Formats: sequence, C-alpha cells, structure tokens
Amino acid sequence: MREDAEGKKVLVIQTHGIDTPRRTYSPLFYAMAAASMDMEVLVWFTMDGTSQLKKGAAEKIKLDPESDVTLRTMLERTKEEGVKLYVCQQSMTLFGMTEEDLLDGVEIMGAATIIDLTLGADVVMYF
Amino acid sequence: MSETVKIGKCIIQTDLHYLVEDHSWVRFNDDGSVTVGITDVAENMAGPILHVYARKKGMRQKGQSLATIESGKWVGPLKAPITGEILEANAALDKDPGVVNRSPYGEGWVVRMKPAKLDEERQFFLTGDAAVEAYRKRIDEQNLKACAEVAPDCG
Repeated sequence: MREDAEGKKVLVIQTHGIDTPRRTYSPLFYAMAAASMDMEVLVWFTMDGTSQLKKGAAEKIKLDPESDVTLRTMLERTKEEGVKLYVCQQSMTLFGMTEEDLLDGVEIMGAATIIDLTLGADVVMYF
Repeated sequence: MSETVKIGKCIIQTDLHYLVEDHSWVRFNDDGSVTVGITDVAENMAGPILHVYARKKGMRQKGQSLATIESGKWVGPLKAPITGEILEANAALDKDPGVVNRSPYGEGWVVRMKPAKLDEERQFFLTGDAAVEAYRKRIDEQNLKACAEVAPDCG
C-alpha cells in the first residue's frame, strides 16, 4: 500500500440514482475502500444521484436478489466507515425533496460548496 | 489451552484475545510480538475474501487501519487492536486471500506487530468465556445472520 495514501482527501461524485441500480453500489464501495485506508472520504450526490437519498427509496434497490444487502445497507455502511455524505440543494429541489425527505446523516450543500470541496480534494472520482 | 466454541456456525477460539466491536483477535507471542487477524464471525459476514491489502511496515495507532479486506459484498478495515509497529504482513494472503475464510485464527492471520503500549491496552481485550459471551451477545443484539446454522434437511 502506498504510504502517502493515508490522510488524502477523496471526493466521490455520484450522479446516478434508483433508475440505474447497477451504477449505485460501486461508488459507495470505493468510498468505503478509501475510508478503510484511513483516507478522508466525501460522497457528493447530485443530479439523479439525489434520488437514492429519499427516505424509503434505497431499501427497494437490491442488486443480488439472494442477498440481504440493499442500497440502503450500503449507504449505512458507508456512513459507519466515517464517510461524509453530501447532497446538492438544487438537485433536491429538482426531485421535489425537502430536508424531511432525506435520509439521516446527509448534509445539504450548495453548488459553491462542491467547487470548494473539489478544490480541496486530492482526487475526485466522478460517476 | 486452546478450545473452540461454536456460536451457530461461527467459531471462537478461547485462547485468543478479542476486540469484539472490531471483529479482531490477537495472539500474544513468546517473542513479545502480537499476531492479529479477523474473527470467524467477520469472515462469515464478509463471505469469500477476494483481497487483503495490508499496510506497509511501520507504526500504527490503535484504531488505525492495518489492512483493507475485500469480499464481493463488503470492504472494510482491519483496525489496529493495539498501538505498535507492523513487523510483517502475511504474504501468503497475496496469492490466496481465501485462507482467511478457511483458517481465520491460523494460517489466515493478517499482520504481526510489535506492541508499544500493551500495558495500557491489554485491558480492552476479552478472552476465554468472557469473549464467547460478549460475541454471543453481539450476534444476538445485531441479529448477525452470518453465523446462523443452515436448517437441517428433515427429508
């Protein structure tokens, strides 16, 4: 493992949501992997990615029918690993979502914040 | 003396010392080093292990990552159960990470460390019956299905 990996900031941008389930798991998996390497990891949900953060939505998404693991499980695990989750205010408006509709533990931010986060990150992974 | 206790299909080896909350175990070796691995509960939860990506040699604080462990459905850290120096990683896991599933308390060990604060940190470990009971409680409270025995076929 690269010794300089520790403490790096990784920003994961997720633009895919519940309409494309196969594009939802991997970004969270990478986020958890980076967190397990003692990196600081942020996931920014924007555009369609916002849809997976609506209460009751992620529970319905399951890639493996034989598994108990849903997209909601993945989101909870990601938080447990210390990954910070952010959502785009403007995208929430697009989906008619209010703060009450949002899963717990997700912070709402505006567009300027994403620019700031991008500038502050060592690497940005865009999905 | 080493004894194994089964909780469902998960095994706890009573001579080892556990941090149940982190699913890690340690063995205190005669040369003063400590061998570290993940528990049988953890490997059952993870499923077939595909990669074990260990940190390089060097100092780690208690709670920092010693290795990233990946299965098809899970990825997460093996957190350092003690503060100390990584002396070596189990090179056998590079070619055959599945040994963690087959022998989590034996050939599937992950790293060996030289403890730095063992006098302070030894108190956090559970061993013997206390470890078994703590794990039994955690499995019940969190409804960890990975340890559930498959129902016998009555046919």
